[in-house]
Amino acid sequence: MKFHFFHLMPYPELPEDFRQKYHSVWVDIPRNLYDPVVGHHAYHDYLEELEFAAGLGFDGICVNEHHANGYGTMPSPNLILAMLIRRSGNAKLIIMGNSVALYNPPIRVAEEMAMLDVISGGRIVAGFPVGSPMDTIFVYGQNPATLRAKYYEGVKLILRAWQASEPFPFNGEFTQLRYVNIWPRTLQQPHPPVWIPGGGSVETWGWCADNNFLYAYLSYYGYELATKTMAGFWEDVDQRNLERNPYRAGFLQFIGVADSDAEAERLYKEPALYFYNRCLSVHPGFTTPAGYTSPATIRKGLDSMIALAGQKSSDVTWKEIVDRGYIITGSPDTVADRISHLADTLNVGHLMTLCHFGNMSKELTMYNSERFARSVIPRVRDRFAEFEDKWWPSDDTLIEPAPPLTTVAP
Amino acid sequence: MADGMLEQTLRLRRGHEQIVYTVGTGDPVLWLHDLNGVTDDNPLVASLAEHYTVIAPQAPGFAHLEELDDIRNVHELALHYDDVLQALGVGPIDVVGHSFGAMIGAELAAHFPLRVSRLVLLAPLGLWNEHYPIGDLLSVPYPALPEFLYARPPGAAGPDAMDVEALVRIAQGMTSVAKFIWPIPEHGLSRRLDRYTGPTMVMFGGADEFIPSAYADDWTNLLPNVRRAILPHAKHMLPADEPAEVSKLVLDFLSA
Repeated sequence: MKFHFFHLMPYPELPEDFRQKYHSVWVDIPRNLYDPVVGHHAYHDYLEELEFAAGLGFDGICVNEHHANGYGTMPSPNLILAMLIRRSGNAKLIIMGNSVALYNPPIRVAEEMAMLDVISGGRIVAGFPVGSPMDTIFVYGQNPATLRAKYYEGVKLILRAWQASEPFPFNGEFTQLRYVNIWPRTLQQPHPPVWIPGGGSVETWGWCADNNFLYAYLSYYGYELATKTMAGFWEDVDQRNLERNPYRAGFLQFIGVADSDAEAERLYKEPALYFYNRCLSVHPGFTTPAGYTSPATIRKGLDSMIALAGQKSSDVTWKEIVDRGYIITGSPDTVADRISHLADTLNVGHLMTLCHFGNMSKELTMYNSERFARSVIPRVRDRFAEFEDKWWPSDDTLIEPAPPLTTVAP
Repeated sequence: MADGMLEQTLRLRRGHEQIVYTVGTGDPVLWLHDLNGVTDDNPLVASLAEHYTVIAPQAPGFAHLEELDDIRNVHELALHYDDVLQALGVGPIDVVGHSFGAMIGAELAAHFPLRVSRLVLLAPLGLWNEHYPIGDLLSVPYPALPEFLYARPPGAAGPDAMDVEALVRIAQGMTSVAKFIWPIPEHGLSRRLDRYTGPTMVMFGGADEFIPSAYADDWTNLLPNVRRAILPHAKHMLPADEPAEVSKLVLDFLSA
């Protein structure tokens, strides 16, 4: 089993009454809520946490893409990844991912990822999410009727471009190019492993299985609520007579290591409440727009939408967060047991952990990450050892030590 | 949904099928519907059917979303309606459109001005003015849509009696129109609208939250042969909000 260090890079000073007072944390979050000085310090803390995790022996460190979002301040994941390349040892660099439909032309993604792959010595994982409606439709103005088709066309173009033996013209519906020619060529051959982060749509499972992409279910609500989705994915795999290799699946899980329940609450309650109650306050009209969501899905959701329409959405409590399994907390033994159970239930070989969440301080993040890496990972590392991980960069990567800085004598 | 109407399916180029509803007797009038699709309880359609044969194509995508796969932009949409009129065998025809249907009507008239004898545009989409942007329909939560679109929301006997079927119908319609109205419901119509020089009427609801009635200026500035009407208390769904007034204005205009 493999363990990765995921980071959302939230803005850490959203006001306490955010949910009551503001329309949404995503899309139209007021610009004056962002203080660039706070942001400066936050970015550097987060970069340090990612570098620290790489040093602790997490298999991979993860970046992701969000736009106009108070809890995800990486509109360009590739920029962050570039900053980490020379300070991440041999940790793999997981781009989760580039939202392909938002890059015009999509060969921009192919080029940047190729650069990152070459410079990192062949350590990158290429993630291609379709993208949330908030990012794609509302912030980037993509048309809901054609978003998925544009995304598929873009991903196919990127993969073709990475593997082409010579430059070629491309006459697509959404992109037209005369000379597609990606320099540099990727170090990994035929190309970096492809992971598809998804939110549970049926279409995505089949596509992943057909193309041998890893399917990563990125949920904020813990593994117990994810069983149905993952079961659906594995059924699709079965239907194609493919092996239930757990390394073709990924999952996201919040973690809080502590020596007792009381200690867990003392350490993790505030950052957890910050995340679940402030960060997840998204205007409902942004989440299921027509065109992105089928009428059948809208009809299914209408009863609950109507029921909730009159009520103000309420905060979750720490107890609810723990009881529902949003966060796995407890002693290293407890956490290891729960992860074992997660592995049994979801059959997931790539676990992306959130050891930083909400407005967690750097010190606490490093404490949590270190305890997880030293005391939990060794207990569960051997799970799935009998399977071959075909969705992972090889260990024969090229690592150049950072050259010494030279100074010129005056 | 359209039980009182005759339904036929036209077979067009490239394997397209087009459902067309017909009701009434008299000279033909083309009805281009709003987000609700073709329904037989639209007061304006009922009034028109008393004096005219109302021909109501169901816009591509409303019956099956796949119908939209082969219609990529407003030009192809206008060509599609030209194909429909060709298949129906009608000559120049009076066109009455509402909302998204009015956008189609305006594009039809701009691309094929000889097809349209008179043009009525009720709360039309198709132009953009950054001083009074068109409302973001896509981000209105579904339960809030009736109040957003109607001065008198249908089926509401109180806050708890939400008409689910009405909501689903609007959501279905939005799925189809999203292709042409997102992110900005304007595709160069201002550059060709003056090709249509026939008699035109534009009508807006003064309380329309989706398309501000200030757009009456933008439309009348571009159309060479136009009159306007603003119904102060109506919102976007003009025929439902002010049935008597809307019917009178449209019928008077068509018979002038």
